[in-house]
Amino acid sequence: MAKIGVFICHCGENIGAKVDCSRLAEALGEHPGVAVSVEYKYFCSDPGQESVKKAIRDNNLTGVVVAACSPRMHEATFRKACAEAGLNPYQCEIANIREQCSWVHTDKDMATEKAMDITRSMVEKVKRNNNLQPIEVPVTRRALVIGGGIAGIQAALDIANAGQEVVLVEREPSLGGHMAQLSETFPTLDCSQCIMTPRMVEAAQHPNIRLLTYAEIESVDGYIGNFKVKVRMKSRCVDMNSCTGCGDCITKCPLKKIPSEFDCGLGKRTAIYTPFAQSVPNKPVIDKANCIYFKNGKCKICTKSCQFNSINFEMQDEFIELEIGAIVVATGFQVQNNAQYGEYGYGKYPDVINGLQFERLASASGPTAGKILRPSDGKEPQTVVFIQCAGSRDPSKGVRYCSKICCMYTAKHAMLYAHKVHDGKTHIFYMDIRAAGKGYDEFSRRAIEEDEASYVRGRVSKVWQENGKLMVRGVDTLLGKPVEIAADMVVLATTMIPQPDAKEFAKTIGIGYDEYGFYNEAHLKLRPVESSTAGIFLAGACQSPKDIPDSVAQASASASKVLALFSKDKLEREPVIAINNEATCAGCWGCVLACPYNAIEKKDILDRSGRLIKRVAFVNPGLCQGCGTCVTFCRSNSIDLAGFTEKQIFAEVMGL
Amino acid sequence: MITQEQYRTRVKELLSSGTVKMVIGYKPGSTPDRRRPLFIRTAEEANRLVLDSACITNLSGYLVTEGLLSDEKKVAIFLRPEGIRSINILAAESQLNADQIIILGFDSTGSVVKTLDGTHAGDFSELLGSIKQNSPVKPSEVLFEQVEQMTPAERFAFWQEEFSRCIKCYACRQACPMCYCRRCIVDSNQPQWVNTSSHTLGNFEWNIVRAFHLAGRCVECGNCGRACPVNIPLRLINRRMAQEVIEAFDHFPGLNQTQEPVLASFKKDDSETFIL
Amino acid sequence: MSEPFEPKIVAFVCTYCTYAGADLAGTSRLKYAPNVRTIRLPCTGRISPMFILKALQKGADGVLVSGCHPGDCHFTHGNYHARRRWMVFRSLLDFIGIPPERVKYSWISAAEGVKFAELINSVTEDIRKLGPFDQYKELIEETEAEATH
Repeated sequence: MAKIGVFICHCGENIGAKVDCSRLAEALGEHPGVAVSVEYKYFCSDPGQESVKKAIRDNNLTGVVVAACSPRMHEATFRKACAEAGLNPYQCEIANIREQCSWVHTDKDMATEKAMDITRSMVEKVKRNNNLQPIEVPVTRRALVIGGGIAGIQAALDIANAGQEVVLVEREPSLGGHMAQLSETFPTLDCSQCIMTPRMVEAAQHPNIRLLTYAEIESVDGYIGNFKVKVRMKSRCVDMNSCTGCGDCITKCPLKKIPSEFDCGLGKRTAIYTPFAQSVPNKPVIDKANCIYFKNGKCKICTKSCQFNSINFEMQDEFIELEIGAIVVATGFQVQNNAQYGEYGYGKYPDVINGLQFERLASASGPTAGKILRPSDGKEPQTVVFIQCAGSRDPSKGVRYCSKICCMYTAKHAMLYAHKVHDGKTHIFYMDIRAAGKGYDEFSRRAIEEDEASYVRGRVSKVWQENGKLMVRGVDTLLGKPVEIAADMVVLATTMIPQPDAKEFAKTIGIGYDEYGFYNEAHLKLRPVESSTAGIFLAGACQSPKDIPDSVAQASASASKVLALFSKDKLEREPVIAINNEATCAGCWGCVLACPYNAIEKKDILDRSGRLIKRVAFVNPGLCQGCGTCVTFCRSNSIDLAGFTEKQIFAEVMGL
Repeated sequence: MITQEQYRTRVKELLSSGTVKMVIGYKPGSTPDRRRPLFIRTAEEANRLVLDSACITNLSGYLVTEGLLSDEKKVAIFLRPEGIRSINILAAESQLNADQIIILGFDSTGSVVKTLDGTHAGDFSELLGSIKQNSPVKPSEVLFEQVEQMTPAERFAFWQEEFSRCIKCYACRQACPMCYCRRCIVDSNQPQWVNTSSHTLGNFEWNIVRAFHLAGRCVECGNCGRACPVNIPLRLINRRMAQEVIEAFDHFPGLNQTQEPVLASFKKDDSETFIL
Repeated sequence: MSEPFEPKIVAFVCTYCTYAGADLAGTSRLKYAPNVRTIRLPCTGRISPMFILKALQKGADGVLVSGCHPGDCHFTHGNYHARRRWMVFRSLLDFIGIPPERVKYSWISAAEGVKFAELINSVTEDIRKLGPFDQYKELIEETEAEATH
C-alpha cells in the first residue's frame, strides 16, 4: 500500500498569500494513499527538512510530494533529505505551486484549486515511482586521440601532461597535419614549422603517449569509459624497430617523380619516402600504389641499400585492440578542389594555385626553398591576384558557410609576397574582410597600409591566358566598374571542407555530422567540444573551419573534459534512462533511428543451442541521456523511461 | 486466364526445383467474387491457384508469421504493387529479409490481369516510383470529399456514428500487414492507454491510435476496411494520413527497403506553420 | 445567470525550455489565467499522442504542447521528431472531428516567460470562446454511465 507524505510549503507569504495551504493540506489528506498531509512555513529550512525526515521515519512513508517552489529549485534538496531518512530519493517529487501557481495567479480560490490539482496529480505519479539507483559506469583511464595535426597533438599533450595515458593515432606516415605544411602563421608571422615540429617531437617522445602513425581506426564499440577500439596498422614495408631513418633507401629509389602530397603536387618525392624532412617518426614508408616492385615484381633497390635489413615487402597490415575510456576526434579538414570553378581556370592553368599551394611556395622548406616562383616556368611573378571566398559563401556552386580563415591567410599571403618580392603588386578580390580575433584586424590593415595590398571589393568572373599573362576579369563594386588585371599568378583562397571520408568515419565511431560532414557538437553554445555521443569529444577543424588558436583552444578544452572524466574510478549518472521490454519488442528499430545518442543497439536473443530466436532493442545505459524520444516512437509500448514512465504520466494525467 | 496459367507454371517450377519452400497465393472463396489465401508446398497443388481481378487481399502479412522465414528458406508470394510496397516497409523495419521473398507480381485493370516484371522487391522500384508520381494527391472518392468539407462538429458526429458500431474485434489489426507487434498497445494494461470496452470513447481512441501507428506506413491496400465486420470506412482515415505524409514530407511508404520511417526521421526545415 | 465558462486546459511541456519559461513567468510575477495544468516531461520527444487523448478523456477542453525552439533542444533533436509527429497527429485529430483549435502547439524557450504568460492567456481565451468540448464530454459520460451498470 502506498503511504505518501504531502508537505505543503508556505514559502513565507510567497505561496501562503495566494494558496489556502490549510485547505490544500486538508484536501490532500483525504486523497487515497496519502498518510500524512502537513503544511509548514519553510520546508527547505533545516527544521523543515528535519520534519520531512521524521515524518518519513515515523510513518514508513513510501513516497513524498513536496508542494513548494519549482523542482528546478529544490528537487535535489528534498531528494537528499529523503535519502537521509532512508527513502529512495527517486520516491520524492515536487509539486510546483509557487512559480507556476501562487506567483502567477490573483484569485485565491482558483489558485488553491489549481494547487490541489497539481499536488494530487503528483501524488498519483509518486504512487507509481520506482526505486532507482544511480548508474555507475567504470572508467578506463586511457584516452584515444584521432588525428595528429595541431589539435590532436595539443589534446594528447594536455592529457599526457596531466599524467594520463594517451594513444595518438595518425593515418599519414608522419604527425603534423596541415599546420606542418604552412609557411608563416597569422597574425604574428612566426614560422609554422618552428612552432609545430617541437610539439611533434614532444608528443612522440612523451612517456604517456603511445604514437601510432600510418594507422587507421577500424572500429569503435562500447560506450563512455569503456570503448573497444580496433586500429589497423597499415604496413609500412619498413620495420620501425630496426630502421634508423638514415634515408639511404630514399636516395637510391629510382622513382623520383611522384607528386608530393605534402607539397600539394608542387614538389616531387620517391616511392619509399618520408612526407617531409622533419617527419615524426622520421622513418620511411613504401607507397605501394607507385612502387615498381609492387607494380611488376622487380626492383627492390632500396632493400640492397638498407644496412639494417629493415625493408620487408611481405609486411602485412596488423590490428591492435585498445581499451579506451574517452576519445578526442581531431581528424581535421581538406581544402576544396577548385577545379569545379571553371571560370578560375584552376587545374587548367598551372599558375592558378590554391592557398595551401602558396603556403608551400612561401615555406623555406618547400619545393622552391621559400622563393615565390611560378609553377609553369619558375619565374618570379610580378603581379599576383588573390581571389577570396573561392568556394565559400557560395550556395550555388560551393558551400554556404564562411571558411573563416581565408581572409586572414590571404592578407598573410599578400604580406609574405610583398616581403619576398619587393616590387611586386598584389590585388585581392574580396566580398567582406572578416578579421575578428586578437590582433587580426590590425594584421589585415597592415597588409593594406604597410605592404600595399590592393583590395578590390567584388567577384571575379573569369580568368584566361593571354600573351603569357593570366587575365583576371572582375568587378569593383565600390566603383561600380569592371576591372581587368594582367597577372602572373592567381591564388585562390580555397575553402576548408571536411575530410573526404568524414561522414563514413563518423558512422564508424558513432557520432553525428552536419550536411557537409563537419562533426556535430552536443550543444552549439553550451557543449561545444562534446559530440552527441557521451565520451567522444571534438577538437579542431573536423567540427568547423578553424584557425590554429581556435583549434588549440578547443583541443585543450577537450582534454580538460577527458581529464574530468578520468578524475573518478566510476562515472555516476542519473538513472533517468530508457529500458526496453525484450518480451514485447518487435525489433522494428524505429527507436534506433530516433535516438539522438546512438544509445540503442540491436541485441540477439538466442536459445540454448545458440540459435537466433529474435533480435530486440537494447538501451545502453552508458549512452542513454533520458530524453524519451524512443518511448514515444515505440508502437508496442516496449520501451519506457525510468522516472517518467508511461504508468507515471498516465497517473499524472488521470489524477488531474 | 493467360496470366493465371503463366503463374501456375512459374509456381510449379519454383516448387519442384526447390527454389522456394512455400507459395502464398489465392484460391476460390465462399462466393464467386471472393478469394481466400492459399499456402502450398508442392508443385502438384499449383493448379489450385486462382489469379484474377478478384484477388485483392494483400497477402504480405502472412510472411511475418512467427518462424515462417527463420529457416532462411525462400517463400514466393502473389502481390499487387501495394503488397510489394508492404514488403519494402517490412524489410525496412527489419521484419523480414526481402531476399527470401520471391515476388509473383500482378496488377489488374477492370477484369484484365497483367503480370509485373521482377522477382525481388528491389526489381519493382521503377514501377513504384511511377506510382508515386501518378498517385493523385487529391482522392477521387466522394465520401472522402464530403467528410473533408464537413465542419469539425459534423465530422465528429460522422465518426461518432461510424465508431459507435465498432465492436473492438481488432479484425482491422489482424488483417493489416503492418500490425506485426508482438503486443499491441491496446493489449497493454499497465497503463491502459486505450479503453477496451466497446463504448464510443474507447472506439475513438482505438481508431485514432491505429491510424496514427500506420501513418507513413500504410500502403492503402484496404485489408482493414474489408476485414471490418461493421463496415467502418477505415480507408478514409488511411487516405487522409497517406495524403498528409506525402504533402508534408514527400513520403510515399514502401518505395524501397532503405526508406527511413517517416516518423522516426526528420528534416530540420520540416514545416511548422501550425506551431505558435 | 450562468457562471462564465472556465475551460480546463492541460499542458505537456519539456523541462528544459517551456517549463523553465513558465518558471520565469513566475519569478517575473507575470499574471496569467489559472486554467492550465502543466505536466513536465524531459523532452517534447517524450510527449506521446496518447497523453493528449487521456487529457481529453479527463475532460480537458483544450490541450497545449510546448517545447524548445528548433535548434535549442537539450537532447539535440527531440523537438524535431516531435514536430513531425504533431504535424501528422494534428491532421488526424482534425479529420476525426477534434478541432485543431483545441490542441495547440508552441515553442517557448527558457527565456520566454512573457511569451508563456501571453500564450496561456490567449489559449485560455480562445478555448473559452469555443466553449466546453461537449461532443467529447458526451462520450465520457456514456463511458462513465456504462461503468456504473
